[in-house]
Amino acid sequence: MADSQGNGSDVPGNGSGGQYSGPRAADPAPRDTHNEDPEYITRTKFLTGIAVAGGGVLTAAILVPVVGFAVAPTVGGEDFRWVDIGPLSDFPDGQTSSIAVSGPDPEADRRVFLRRKDGTLTAIWNRCAHLGCPVNYSPGGDNYSCPCHGGAYDSLGRVTAGPPPRPLDRFDVKVVDGKGKDVVIKDAKPADRVLIGKPYSIDADQKPFKLHGPGEPVDGVLANLYPL
Amino acid sequence: MTTKDIGPKNPVAQVGQAVGGYVDERTGAKTGLNWFLFRNIPAETSWFQTLGFAVMAIFGMQAVTGIFLAMYYKPDTTTAYSSIQHITNDVTWGWLVRGMHKWGASAMIVLVFLHMGRVFIMGSYKYPRELTWVTGAILLFMTMFMGLTGYLLVWDQKAYWATVVAMNITASAPIVGPYIADVLRAGTEFNGDTLSRFYSIHMLVIPGGIATFMGIHLYLIAKLGITEPPWAKRLTRLARDEESAKRAAARERLPYGRREVTSAPAVPEKVTAGGPS
Repeated sequence: MADSQGNGSDVPGNGSGGQYSGPRAADPAPRDTHNEDPEYITRTKFLTGIAVAGGGVLTAAILVPVVGFAVAPTVGGEDFRWVDIGPLSDFPDGQTSSIAVSGPDPEADRRVFLRRKDGTLTAIWNRCAHLGCPVNYSPGGDNYSCPCHGGAYDSLGRVTAGPPPRPLDRFDVKVVDGKGKDVVIKDAKPADRVLIGKPYSIDADQKPFKLHGPGEPVDGVLANLYPL
Repeated sequence: MTTKDIGPKNPVAQVGQAVGGYVDERTGAKTGLNWFLFRNIPAETSWFQTLGFAVMAIFGMQAVTGIFLAMYYKPDTTTAYSSIQHITNDVTWGWLVRGMHKWGASAMIVLVFLHMGRVFIMGSYKYPRELTWVTGAILLFMTMFMGLTGYLLVWDQKAYWATVVAMNITASAPIVGPYIADVLRAGTEFNGDTLSRFYSIHMLVIPGGIATFMGIHLYLIAKLGITEPPWAKRLTRLARDEESAKRAAARERLPYGRREVTSAPAVPEKVTAGGPS
């Protein structure tokens, strides 16, 4: 707008010489375009704001559902329920049995090593506490070893060698009678059922903690690094 | 005034030039390509400067073979392994296309690191090419991520447990690690959605990112030009001249900077355009 104001007087090309002397349009009064005032909302500023805000809303309308769709179902733990793995007579005293239990993926090779010894049942998860490979049980040495990075555990899943930061995780285990009532193992009849429930992590003294992922220590300073 | 006497005599070349001119007048494609491809480069370039292009060529091969492998691959826990066996053993040239994709993946990782080493050793990341380096670093991460996600798709025991371990390594990163791992494997453990999620990331998410950042990377290279190695003759001569000027200034007990560097022109007399030959 501002540059169109200067061309009133010296328009060239009218006739072959001399000054044009005919009627002229009056110079328009300079308009206040408010370009100098940063506070004033010009039409350009207003429309730019509308375009940016509208574009942002449209982008968010696409991205928020998509990202939520991808992310939201994945955070939060797995659901566990009590699973009947057979009568108590299947697990004679002094023996450790390997039982496949279903995980979220049938190929996950999730197993429980159910150990019955001196009137206690211990259900040890075969997921290595280092990086999650499946550990093997060796009946001869009564210990566990991981094929991936050489983690080794004793009969109760406590680390004896290798990189694991904590003992093997365990599952809750209980024995119920025919009416579904919990019974102590000492008083249980052979036909009573053994049930396996939620997993939990332990420290070296077998104190229970909430379930941690592989590689995460349960105690000490470093445990604070893993909020999940 | 127009004349027909200029330009090629060959009618095929004439038609080609006419078509090229038509397109260029309306799109600027020829101008853009000339700007992009026909640049002056330093005299002392070598085969080491071709490593980046080699990575791009391999990426093109991975894209093409990957597109066609996707025609036979079935990303489901029950069918993935058998579909790959089908590709390898039954489909005509399936072994070849899969082999190109598999070996190309390893070659791309190797070449990416060689290219990065070249840039580092020759100091090509320095001003004004810092952002070229940054985009290259992003491309490096995405290439590694391609390796991770592609490795699982084979869905054999090695792929499965290697990726379980890789995800647990991710999860053992402090604070954010568990969240990232949960999002990547669609849960706290591997499950039926993990494979298809990796497949989607491998064939859609990351290739788009790599193509985008490769474009930015290339634009920056065309805009800024490529560097000569720090041991190039021109640079060593400049340094030597500067050194002798410094010594001369010291002899005359003048502070350095009061005396002009005049013994050699900063720009060589003959500017060579074109390749190193």
